Amino acid sequence: MNLFKKYLVCLLITSCMFFACKQPNGQTSPVPPAQDSLPANPYAPLDRSQMDMSYFPVDFPLQKMNGLKTELPVARVIYSRPHKNGRVIFGNSENSICHYGKAWRLGANEGTEISFFKNVIISGKNIAKGSYIIYAIPYAEKWTIILNNNLYSWGLHIDSTYDIFKMDIPVSPQQPALEDFTIVFSDAVYGADLIMAWDNVKAVLPIEFSK
Amino acid sequence: MKSIILASCLFFCTSLFAQSKIPAIDKSPMDMSYYPNNYPLLKISDKATEPMVARVIYSRPQKNGREIYGDLLEYGKLWRLGANEATEIEFYQNVTINAVKIKKGRYTLYTIPNADKWTIIVNKENDTWGSFRYDEKKDVVRMDVPVQKTDEPADAFFMYFDKINYTSFNLIAGWDNAKVAFPIILN
Repeated sequence: MNLFKKYLVCLLITSCMFFACKQPNGQTSPVPPAQDSLPANPYAPLDRSQMDMSYFPVDFPLQKMNGLKTELPVARVIYSRPHKNGRVIFGNSENSICHYGKAWRLGANEGTEISFFKNVIISGKNIAKGSYIIYAIPYAEKWTIILNNNLYSWGLHIDSTYDIFKMDIPVSPQQPALEDFTIVFSDAVYGADLIMAWDNVKAVLPIEFSK
Repeated sequence: MKSIILASCLFFCTSLFAQSKIPAIDKSPMDMSYYPNNYPLLKISDKATEPMVARVIYSRPQKNGREIYGDLLEYGKLWRLGANEATEIEFYQNVTINAVKIKKGRYTLYTIPNADKWTIIVNKENDTWGSFRYDEKKDVVRMDVPVQKTDEPADAFFMYFDKINYTSFNLIAGWDNAKVAFPIILN
């Protein structure tokens, strides 16, 4: 009985840890859970489009906590995650959230920020370590991805005079379609891929660096 | 009983494998606060009259009917001052905290809550998860601040900056019915 209890406690703790880290994909709720029913926070209300961050190496803070990483991470993106909520996301129609040919902040609220903790190469161009605003101009068949130096600004006002880098990347279908906008890194032979996906569209930005 | 264990193990494993690399929305959403307050909005409307000094990035656990102090947060025990990733504060210029000069850069915040005071800890180990690997040797400064009552209980943990005067400001952190003000002085 004692052993069983210990088992159960261990199991509970481990599952709690894992669930705290990441919910299984199937449990993604289309709207933030119970957010609307909370009393308004008088100090700093919760954002409807929650902020999130992604590291490369993937899950760096967890790996560091587990003693698997001691060096600096390579990259980090901080962005907010709007929800589809039944809307048309990419397109040419008047009610498209991300209109073809128009700059989009790759998220919501503040401009999306990408930090490189070491120098990287994107499309043959050296990008010095540091932080940048990253935004996109989506089209049906490609996205233009832009790095911009005008940090710490609200994303609706993008000042293109601060652009330092621009490249086109192809789009591909996102399966399954995503309710919540997502930016995440994944491993690649040359370094990392930055995956940006929402609804049924996915775009991938290859980032090279020496490992 | 064995079958219960086996079933839970199986369930646990399948949910692990079912994870894709697309992260779900966090239960405790991340948020950020700037000093000066709302700096990004001020900046795009040309209303920023002072340079940016600080930014905190934290996750916001919610009370959800739980007892917070002395229960979920045990008195005298280290807490990551948020949820998920360790809470990060970045100073964009040098500042002074509790008479210690702090160089601009990124730091991690922790706290040790007590009924009457919280110990706020600024630590230089960044990009980590929670407080599981907290190393006291990497502390930059510690400061005890008295606990105040919130005007209204806050369901979501909150952090924001509050101006004291032209040379100093507070980082306010609070949850439920308690909050603290942590003074930061501009050099």
